Amino acid sequence: MSTPTPITPLQSFVNLSALLTGIDASKLAPSVDPKNIKQVYFDYALKQAGAAFEQLLSIFNANSSKPPAEIANIIFNQSGTDICFLARSVMLMWYLGSWYAPGALQKAGTNTPPPDSVVISAAAYTQGWSWNVAQAHPMGYSNFQFGYWASNPPLLSDFVGDAGK
Amino acid sequence: MNTTTPQYDVVIVGAGVSGAMMAKQLGLAGKKVLILEAGARIPPNNNEFMQRFYMGVAKVPEIPYTPEIFTPSGSLELTNPATLNAGRPNTMTLDASSWQDPNKAYMIQQGPLPFSSTYERIAGGTMRHWLGTSLRNVPNDFKMKTTYGKFVDWPLSYDDIEPWYEKAEWEIGVSADKAQQAYLGITFAPNYQYPMKPIPPSLVDVAVTKAVTGQSFEGIPLVVTETPAGRNSQPYQNRRPCAGNTNCIPICPIQAKYDPSITLNMALDTGNVTILAQTVASEIIVDDNDLVSQINYIQYDDILGPATGKGSVTAKRYVLAAHAIETPKLCFMSTNNGRTPNGVANSSGQMGRNLMDHPLYLAWAQAPEPVFGFRGPLATSGIESMRDGSFRSDRAAFRIEIGNEGWNFSIGDPWTTTLDFINGMNVSQLNPPPAGSSASPALWGPDLVTALNKGFSHQFRLGFLVEQSPEESNYVTLSKTEFDHLGLPRPQIVYDLSQYTRAGFVAAKQTADAIFNLMGATQFTTPPAANDPSAFDVVIDGKPDRLKFFGAGHIVGTYRMGDDSKTSVVDANQRSWDHKNLFLVGSGNFCTVATANPTLTIAALALKAAATVLEDLG
Repeated sequence: MSTPTPITPLQSFVNLSALLTGIDASKLAPSVDPKNIKQVYFDYALKQAGAAFEQLLSIFNANSSKPPAEIANIIFNQSGTDICFLARSVMLMWYLGSWYAPGALQKAGTNTPPPDSVVISAAAYTQGWSWNVAQAHPMGYSNFQFGYWASNPPLLSDFVGDAGK
Repeated sequence: MNTTTPQYDVVIVGAGVSGAMMAKQLGLAGKKVLILEAGARIPPNNNEFMQRFYMGVAKVPEIPYTPEIFTPSGSLELTNPATLNAGRPNTMTLDASSWQDPNKAYMIQQGPLPFSSTYERIAGGTMRHWLGTSLRNVPNDFKMKTTYGKFVDWPLSYDDIEPWYEKAEWEIGVSADKAQQAYLGITFAPNYQYPMKPIPPSLVDVAVTKAVTGQSFEGIPLVVTETPAGRNSQPYQNRRPCAGNTNCIPICPIQAKYDPSITLNMALDTGNVTILAQTVASEIIVDDNDLVSQINYIQYDDILGPATGKGSVTAKRYVLAAHAIETPKLCFMSTNNGRTPNGVANSSGQMGRNLMDHPLYLAWAQAPEPVFGFRGPLATSGIESMRDGSFRSDRAAFRIEIGNEGWNFSIGDPWTTTLDFINGMNVSQLNPPPAGSSASPALWGPDLVTALNKGFSHQFRLGFLVEQSPEESNYVTLSKTEFDHLGLPRPQIVYDLSQYTRAGFVAAKQTADAIFNLMGATQFTTPPAANDPSAFDVVIDGKPDRLKFFGAGHIVGTYRMGDDSKTSVVDANQRSWDHKNLFLVGSGNFCTVATANPTLTIAALALKAAATVLEDLG
């Protein structure tokens, strides 16, 4: 009888992020990860949201064996607006490298100007997933070579993993 | 007392493209040159610029170069331009609440419409954030009066400027194919070749080309042409080929795109050129023989700090290269105790007048198949076939730039659409509420990835650069009430779009609609907000409409060339009619704005002016 290794808060954060963003955990937090952006985001969210962030991770941990749709439903619809919008802040952090405070997201209407945000770091900007989901690269940060734009990009799954299928 | 030997052969005000091009040529010929630059010198590398770009919430063209746009509070509070030593306009001050607020906007805008282009005051100049488009004017651009009975002819022809275009293309390093650029009368010397092979077209270009080839709009054929680009397609001038960072504006991270700091550094390397940075020219002194005898300046260390010194400099020849708003401003400030009451070089009364831009019509759509924007240089092709034709007797011409950056310029993507799908919003219009609901869905997981991928990969836009007519009634002068931190008056602008220009703008909109139809694309162009000042009312096919224009960053026409001293500021050699040892270079001396992005013509004219100055100096 072996007991599973306890999951660290950081691993839990990566798994939660993968579920919410639709991007494979192995892409969000690759085994060779010199940028270590997961730790940057974990620390940032903890600093910004404190207890609510810890509560979001607890909710995820308590329900992590359930099907993804059920977990998402619990986070977005059954845990209060603070948790719902904090989950969106976490998703936006991964997608855009910027912090949109949950309160600002909650105030935004369907067609209002964008809520205030701050760029978390230069590295965070260059690791934004919106660009990869576009099968492209952050503007001003290309690892492609001359002329690549004349051909089709790699497959979406090459960028985001199989979760995006 | 002007008996002493001048300190320099040439003093140049402004270290932008014109100043840099002239300084290099003069320095190579052994002439001693001093450049007075109002802003900061060239940094040892671009790291600080890149850092500001990455960290900027508003990634406007100015963001790498102007750290003082916002106060240090960390919010988006705009710095009061009265506190800046070398103030400059920025694109954050064009909205309804800012454009006429002197505590936010540097330029004092009198309307009726906002002048919507901005400029830099920094070594390297405004061209630090140019796109790289290096088009030649077409021959008829130089003879609008003769050919179409409109405006004025330039005092030089296409054939006169053609050899200088060649030199400018080699100085900048232009990638293009000569055979493709020979349209609408553009010719090349038989043995001439562009320095580099062309930049490959993007998948967006291919999709537009496929749809419009063989088609026409109102009898004008729609022909897509690869854009001559001041970006490397192979190593050139010790710089790398373009890696498609899709960031030409505001900044190419690898300097594969030319900018004037490259020429400026070569000028400094001649050992004959000196630059005084953070040195604002404040007055041009004219002697009793109507010759310029010195230029006075004010210096500062910190752009928000006090003035730290004053000085003056003398030379055999003087060159004003401070772009089309600061150059007239300096001339107006130089009244010489009433001897030049309307400013230096202004006996014609034309100084500051005929301010022009390319008012830009922007249209965006979803292509029927993925076109994969956000890849490659910001633009690689355009439709140039509409730049000339008999219609120019009646309405403005335009060129069409095909954008490779999705809806980045159009709506601020990927930020806007990402927020829409994650936070249940619909600013992009890509996330409408489902039937029977008033709320846009908030997505997560695979559905989010799929929706964003579909939205982004189909995005593209067209930008129409409309030829603005020269009008004396569009002008720059000095504010009598608003000053910068050095106590110098700020520029005051009166600006409107003529019926001729507006008619061209309407044709641009109709052409956009036609191209999207040919492509089977779904248009998402949104009308301007009711309070957006950069918009005007039109009637199209009997229906009222309202169109938004953007500034193209092409500031043109305020000290026009001509062959008559009564109606122009400089002659065909860009020499002041009034002061024979004074030259005014840059796009301010254009007689008309035409439809080409102006940089190549600016560079060609600067190289031509350098040759004239060298001839003068012997």
